[in-house]
Amino acid sequence: MIVLWPIAAITFKEGIRDRALYGITLFALSLLGFSLLLSNMAPRDVGKVAVDMALSTISFAGLLLVLFVGINLMAKDLDKRTIYSVLSRPVSRSEYVVGKFFGLCLLIVAVVVFLSIFALLSILMLKLSYPNYFEKFAWSLVILAITFEGAMLILLSAISFFFASLTSTSFVTLVLTVISYLIGNSIRDVKALVESPAAAGIQISPVMVKTVQAAYYLFPNLSLFDVKIQAAHGLPIPLNYILLLLLYFVVYSSLVITLAALIFRRKEFP
Amino acid sequence: MRRLLTAVIFMLLCIAHVVILEKASESRNTLPVVNDTEEMVLPSSVLKISSGEFDSLVSDYLFLKMLVFAGEKTDERGSVIMTDQEWRLFYQTLEASSDLDPYFVDPYFIGNAFLTWDGNMIKEANALLEKGSRHRDWDWSLPFFLGFNHFFFLDDNEKAGTYMMEAARRPGASPSLAGLASKLAFKANRVETSIAFLEEIRNSTEDESLRKLYETRIEALRAILVLEQAVDVYRKKYTKRPLEIGDLITAKIIAEIPVDPYGGRFYIDKSGSIKTTSEKELLPHRR
Repeated sequence: MIVLWPIAAITFKEGIRDRALYGITLFALSLLGFSLLLSNMAPRDVGKVAVDMALSTISFAGLLLVLFVGINLMAKDLDKRTIYSVLSRPVSRSEYVVGKFFGLCLLIVAVVVFLSIFALLSILMLKLSYPNYFEKFAWSLVILAITFEGAMLILLSAISFFFASLTSTSFVTLVLTVISYLIGNSIRDVKALVESPAAAGIQISPVMVKTVQAAYYLFPNLSLFDVKIQAAHGLPIPLNYILLLLLYFVVYSSLVITLAALIFRRKEFP
Repeated sequence: MRRLLTAVIFMLLCIAHVVILEKASESRNTLPVVNDTEEMVLPSSVLKISSGEFDSLVSDYLFLKMLVFAGEKTDERGSVIMTDQEWRLFYQTLEASSDLDPYFVDPYFIGNAFLTWDGNMIKEANALLEKGSRHRDWDWSLPFFLGFNHFFFLDDNEKAGTYMMEAARRPGASPSLAGLASKLAFKANRVETSIAFLEEIRNSTEDESLRKLYETRIEALRAILVLEQAVDVYRKKYTKRPLEIGDLITAKIIAEIPVDPYGGRFYIDKSGSIKTTSEKELLPHRR
């Protein structure tokens, strides 16, 4: 643990200094400002649109953070050959991967917390101007949804670490991570669709069904972390679901990071 | 010299840019294009999968798009005028929006408000409300509107009464709903029941312009109610029915004929019931 901390701290500082981060933050803040205007347009469900906008902004900004800052943090060390100087110290390769991952987790948490403050402020402002239009609203659910969103982003960056240890260019990592994100968000619906194709009036070959079922266990199930609709309408989320999801998050990300560390150990640097 | 040349070339390029842009966009208009309103709405399952974690945002977007669309098609009186095709697009988009987030109340409200009175798509409006009522099982207003539609547009008092009882059972429902339900069950005076319904709707509507629309409707129905009651008095007095509306004044039952807020004129039809020349405004538009 003691060896991990310096690497995590350096990764975090490096990420905070990244210019792209300022762009992403600015973009997210202007989206939140826009949300104040857009939510006004809803005749009744102002609260729902406000929560949707706030949570979606955090998701989208977080996604940009993982894809354009997170992946570069790993790739930069390889591109600029700074990895040699890190590995010449008494740090094992697995420790390096895990330390980097923790640094990125810290960065994601910091950015999500920072954006959440403004997101919650935007909701609060609308709630004060339209108190009647927040009938089933609960702050706790909004905060839970943000927490899940953060967990989803960390899971996605774990996947990106896995791809980064497999490939040698950051572009390929980016493409593979984007694909995993898209699959991870739709795999549950697609699985439901191919398992009962009659409902949609389509025909699916058995091979396709098996492929989708395999992908279901292979790719991270990111849509499980999406509770925006529940948060927007104040629908209860059972405690048992929250615990199971946190467990899934810990198990899957540990699995992927362990794999990434194993591969990275055998990797030959140019 | 060279600087001047650069400036001249720059100026020429600027002028050329403006002229060519103008020409290009002009000739673009002559391209065979798909009519805006012919655009199709993607099936909900495809929308759901492709919008990923942003499905509720897409639901908001589709709804707001239709709200603006209906706003553009609204005449100065507040009724929405659209072609059959546009109405279909309106309904399908709201349906998709409510499939993506079935708890979102606004598509149900706007869909119901416009599809019934202006679009004459009662079946579709009810389908939307049914979906909303199933998901938002704490919300009394959706079964209430279902009850109203069944009573007012479909003439199905029995079903209307069932929906009204359901609405009355849900939290926050006004106590007068139970009274409305019994009015329906005992087949009370139709105009009176309509007024009670519309007053309930008006009281639960926050939007000023919609409230005004309902106010006008209530005013018109109240005028009809006054005349209907006057006709009853006339019948009891003379044991025959009045032939024209002026008879009510000559018999000194009413002092003056109430004004139709829609600008029409009230008359008594062959069956002896009160009608107005502005019926089109009061009743849903028949397309």
